[in-house]
Amino acid sequence: MHDLFAVLVNSLLAAGLYATMSYGLAVIYGVMRIINLAHAGILMLGAYATFALYTRFGLDPFLSLFAVIPLFFGLGVLLYVSMVQRLPRSDAGPSIESLLLLFGVWLVLQNLAYAIWSGDTQSILTPYTMKSVSLWGVRVGVPTLAVFVVSGVSLIVLEIVLRRTYLGRAIRAVTQNRDAARMSGVNAGRISAVAFGIGTAFAAAAGSMLATLYAFTPDFGRSFLLKSFCIIVLAGMESVAGVAAGALVLALLENIVGAYTSIPTSFQDALSFTLLVVALVAFPQGLLGAFGRLAGSRRRFS
Amino acid sequence: MERGSLNDIWNLAFAVVLASSWNLLGGFAGQVSIGYSAFIGIGAYTTALLALRGVAPYATVPLAAAAGALFSFIIGLPTFRLRGPYFTIATIGVSEAVRVFAAGVSFTGGSSGLRMPPGSFDFGRNYSTMVLLAVFTVALSAWIRERPLGRALSAIRQDIDAAEAVGVNATKYKLWIHALSAALVAAAGSLFAINFQYLSPGSVFDFRLSLTIVLMPIVGGIATVAGPVLGAVLFGYLQIKMLALPALRDSYLFLYGGLLIAVTLFEPKGLVGLLQRARRGVARWAQRPVTHAG
Repeated sequence: MHDLFAVLVNSLLAAGLYATMSYGLAVIYGVMRIINLAHAGILMLGAYATFALYTRFGLDPFLSLFAVIPLFFGLGVLLYVSMVQRLPRSDAGPSIESLLLLFGVWLVLQNLAYAIWSGDTQSILTPYTMKSVSLWGVRVGVPTLAVFVVSGVSLIVLEIVLRRTYLGRAIRAVTQNRDAARMSGVNAGRISAVAFGIGTAFAAAAGSMLATLYAFTPDFGRSFLLKSFCIIVLAGMESVAGVAAGALVLALLENIVGAYTSIPTSFQDALSFTLLVVALVAFPQGLLGAFGRLAGSRRRFS
Repeated sequence: MERGSLNDIWNLAFAVVLASSWNLLGGFAGQVSIGYSAFIGIGAYTTALLALRGVAPYATVPLAAAAGALFSFIIGLPTFRLRGPYFTIATIGVSEAVRVFAAGVSFTGGSSGLRMPPGSFDFGRNYSTMVLLAVFTVALSAWIRERPLGRALSAIRQDIDAAEAVGVNATKYKLWIHALSAALVAAAGSLFAINFQYLSPGSVFDFRLSLTIVLMPIVGGIATVAGPVLGAVLFGYLQIKMLALPALRDSYLFLYGGLLIAVTLFEPKGLVGLLQRARRGVARWAQRPVTHAG
């Protein structure tokens, strides 16, 4: 059963990154009911930013997070203020205009990357990229482990911010009921801008970390975007604990399929897509929503 | 006319069919699908597979259309339960899954694709069929718009719950218009296979193609009859111009993205909307009171 254990460990490690990547999408959706297709472009730009910092300044990819995160937070706020805020807001749920707008932004970001870095496949090779350690008997790459640790830390910090700070409570309030939050004195517009910044920063951080694990091109990001959708749909799109659970489910599914069947990895994408469609159709409230109803509990954002 | 410009007209007609057909579901009914290249692929592959088994190429076109319609039901039945952007995301997923599948399975020729059997390649006939299909599609949209069907779709687009409340069976209409739209696109895909003689998953199931199909009617003027045509002309023109200038060749994403951003932020009704504004502006200017003495 060593194989199964290896699958579990690998899934857990992958889930950490998936959760970080998906949280960026989840917070934007939760606060603004907007589906951010530019998420893929940000993932990609985060990877390239890290790459640029590494090749030009020799800055270690994990250390570069200290630069990437604030930079992309600012970029996110800018994006929100200059474009997203101008869209007509509809309380009837996410609008197709926002989807198309952010799709356009994604395309522009892709072209930007092509123009600056060309379409060649890039990767980041550090002295520790090829090293691995033994974790409870399972061989695990050093970058993979580092990514898991960083993801874990960032999600813990996130939880603390959401529970203990005014900002966190304001974000949760706006997510639950925008009008009620405003009546309670929350500046929803400002919170939305901050939330967009946070979402962008998380996406860029995830992209940064992905750059240490995979090679990338400007087209990078699409399959991760779809995985993120899959996860937040499973998670009900508003719950942080759900994002972690959804990430784990997807990671487990991918690793189990990879280990025990001979389906090639290119089909893995088709797998995520199918899971996404199934999840959208079968669980409109997300997995936790479905289980919550079964257990009789109505808590949505706990 | 020389061959080069006939080619351009073929491409334009192809674009018009795609844009106008998409508009039936995406514009009139308001269900935005970014997965239409799947239908082009289904049409093209149906034709190629049948032709390789001895069926006359042009005879395969109606069969390709039927295959498209059938596939649209398979996609539509589960996904039409989703609303708005969720439906759109599901269509992206489905289309990508189809592409991966076609590239991975061997009877479709895998990732190297299929070649049509050598035979009578008659460009004149290819050209006139495509133009005919384009004219038919635009005429069909104009006709639909004036009928109760068009009004029902418009109701669905504006407020699906209200439409259902007044007795419109939204799911039935969505499924049928999707089937019609898919059949037309699949027919175009079939003609594509006949004209280009070679298809591969990369060429017919391309995500960028799905994107262009969506952009043409949106930029031209969604939910109108002229909009998709204008959009197709614009994109056709832009493609030609951009391919000619090496500096711009790789900038098409800037252009597509920029157009999408500009349309969503400034003129959601696209070119048609701009023209309407211009016309109103001129009318207002013509009616301004004479203030000078006289």
